[in-house]
Amino acid sequence: MAPATATKLGYTPPDGGWGWAVVFGAFISIGFSYAFPKSLTVYFKEIQEYFFVSYSEIAWLSSVMLASMYAGGPVSSLLVNRFGSRPVVMVGGLMVSTGMILASFGRTIVHLYLCVGVIGGLGLAFNLQPALTIIGTYFQVKRPLANGLAMTGSPVVLFTLAPLNQFLFDSFGWRGSFLILGSIVLNCCVAGALMRPVNKNAQSKSEPPECNGAAAAETATSDTSAQSANLLTKENQEESRSQGCVHKIIDPTLFKHRGFLIYLIGNVVMFFGFFAPVVFLAPYAKHQGIDEYSAAFLLSIFALVDMFIRPATGFIGNTKWIRPRIQYFFSFAVSYNGVCHLICPLLPGYVGLVVYAVFFGLAFGMLSALLFEVLMDLVGAHRFSSAVGLVTIIECGPVLLGPPLSGALVDIFGEYKYMYYACGVFMLVPGIFFFIMHYFNYKKLDEERRQTVALEMRTCDEAVQLKMSQDEKWSHLETDKPYGQAN
Amino acid sequence: MSSSWEQLFFQILLLVVFCRHINTKTPGPTPPPLVSISSPLPTEIRSVVLKGESHTESVELLNPVNLTLECTWTGNQNKLPNITGFWRKDGDEVENSRLTVQLENDQYNLKRVFSIISEENLGNYSCMFESEAKIDFVLAAPHMHEVRDKPIVSYVGDSVVIVCKMEETKPKPSTWNWYKANGTDKIFTAAEPLRYEIKNDERKTKLVVYNLTEADGGLYYCGAVYAINTTMGLVELKVINFTEPLKPFIAIVLEVIVLVVAIMFYERYQSKKNYTAGKGMNDQTNTLTQGENNEPEEGSSMRQRKV
Repeated sequence: MAPATATKLGYTPPDGGWGWAVVFGAFISIGFSYAFPKSLTVYFKEIQEYFFVSYSEIAWLSSVMLASMYAGGPVSSLLVNRFGSRPVVMVGGLMVSTGMILASFGRTIVHLYLCVGVIGGLGLAFNLQPALTIIGTYFQVKRPLANGLAMTGSPVVLFTLAPLNQFLFDSFGWRGSFLILGSIVLNCCVAGALMRPVNKNAQSKSEPPECNGAAAAETATSDTSAQSANLLTKENQEESRSQGCVHKIIDPTLFKHRGFLIYLIGNVVMFFGFFAPVVFLAPYAKHQGIDEYSAAFLLSIFALVDMFIRPATGFIGNTKWIRPRIQYFFSFAVSYNGVCHLICPLLPGYVGLVVYAVFFGLAFGMLSALLFEVLMDLVGAHRFSSAVGLVTIIECGPVLLGPPLSGALVDIFGEYKYMYYACGVFMLVPGIFFFIMHYFNYKKLDEERRQTVALEMRTCDEAVQLKMSQDEKWSHLETDKPYGQAN
Repeated sequence: MSSSWEQLFFQILLLVVFCRHINTKTPGPTPPPLVSISSPLPTEIRSVVLKGESHTESVELLNPVNLTLECTWTGNQNKLPNITGFWRKDGDEVENSRLTVQLENDQYNLKRVFSIISEENLGNYSCMFESEAKIDFVLAAPHMHEVRDKPIVSYVGDSVVIVCKMEETKPKPSTWNWYKANGTDKIFTAAEPLRYEIKNDERKTKLVVYNLTEADGGLYYCGAVYAINTTMGLVELKVINFTEPLKPFIAIVLEVIVLVVAIMFYERYQSKKNYTAGKGMNDQTNTLTQGENNEPEEGSSMRQRKV
């Protein structure tokens, strides 16, 4: 899979150098996108009292923010396709900042919904997509590792923001905190500044290797290889030109892409059971009779394990055994999540919950680190931007419905174990689905690659034959000339 | 003779009726109803068995009661047949409470009934055995869990809501009061309706203060009123100016601007270095504008260079 996409890119990604600075920038952007909505819950109680609203009305703030973030995906992809990652991230950072600053002057709860929820959420969407996309442009060989490192931003930023938010709240109340948070998210603009568009001219060694190899066997000169190179670059050129117009909007041909469809279907089912266990971990612990601090400690264990497993997963995904079949690794991660949730209700007491938190942290981190890497692997870096936009807007539904549905399950049955069983099933079934479908997909891809290689060999051979016949003709004509003038 | 008896009987009858009539007609000053003393108080018993040297028991009371406190001590190594036992309230010995306690069933038993009527009857009651063993009974009205140990922060010109809550496990207060400063200035919403508003639920009370000024900062007390006593909860309010959060805000914005400018300069510097080194004829300026749609031009330029 790797060589085919390299030629499709038209250049060799640097796989290092400034790429690591870009990974750091993506780390910050992704971190803010995922952690910022979660960390705002510290202020909810006071805002609820201040505006005299009910708990569900204040919880709407999180939902509106998350919904805007996911719904803004396609808009973000469109802008990235047109302008590149850097401007979009910087605009996104400015948007979130403006939203928070305006919110600090809010007089009604609706004002907060609009500023923090809509504007803030959209700004975060403008941070997430470009950050993921630019990694694909800078890395090819080390891409799983880069993705794993960038996705680590989410737990690390959450870990930092949670106590910081508490400190800000104690010192400045909610209005002052919103104002200062508005300045803190401006650091996304710094992250955006780091996202220098990749230099595509520097490396020109990405010539199609197959034909070179075939031609070297002959006594052909550089002309032959140049001609065959021209043939293939011409193919690339036509392909990219035809796609260029479509790229300006959203790429609908993705829906015919086998790998993309597998990913989409599996993910839609999976996201129903993805976030709910995290949301309900502390309430479940308290329901078992565990005190508030120990329940909060469970979440810290979970976050800590998550933080370390993400780069580790990226590193493992990069190894030569896993990389070619990384889809199986992803399927394993999804199934493992499912198994974890199914076993959770059977573990007794606080110790059991700690064990569950550790294993769940492992599972969640593995899945998050690979989530976008496998999409890049399936559709290729140049279509990734449109793909991720489509994926986020379609995932919007399950992500928003998942926790309330799980909550309803808890309310109906009065206990948590049925919710965990349901989440386990919702993750195990897609996991198995992924295993089966990717087995077939890999078989098909190998077949297709064999065919393209054969085709290239044939065209090379034909070109060589043509050249040789031309040489013969010329040499034939040359021998007729007098010796002195032949050169 | 019988007529005179009849007359006398009739006169007595009239006298009795008249007197009764007088009684009902002239209501004298009615003495205040001594309900709390004359009508019987409910009784409660609290008993503690002491194994070691001392023990503290907290007793939560809502209404006036006749409280029986019972102490049982298992004794120490030398089980004397008679020891002295007495009661203390808040460190002072209760009058006439000294008794000689006998050893029964290997235990010493001390019991006393106290009338708990009002706030001064609450406090720390201790039963003492010979200054060796002590059981403390802390009598108090239900206390609320500390609302916030840190001050609530709000801004000049803004409004703030201060909340006090009594937990579900504790009994409901009959009403709530709010006090400012040292617990004596009661806040009356009727006096200043534009500034204060009190919203009471059964277990929760909210004080809303509008149009804050710096003088409004300080301690606020919420009082949960029970028949026996009012328990206070303390909340501190801090009123700050809007310029306070503005300082860190401006500091962080400056930091962001400095970093962005630094990164941009570094990029220019690097690109100039690459340009003067002669690497790559396609300028870096190209990379700063378009995104990924450079491929068509790339292909054609590469072809031109090759052929």
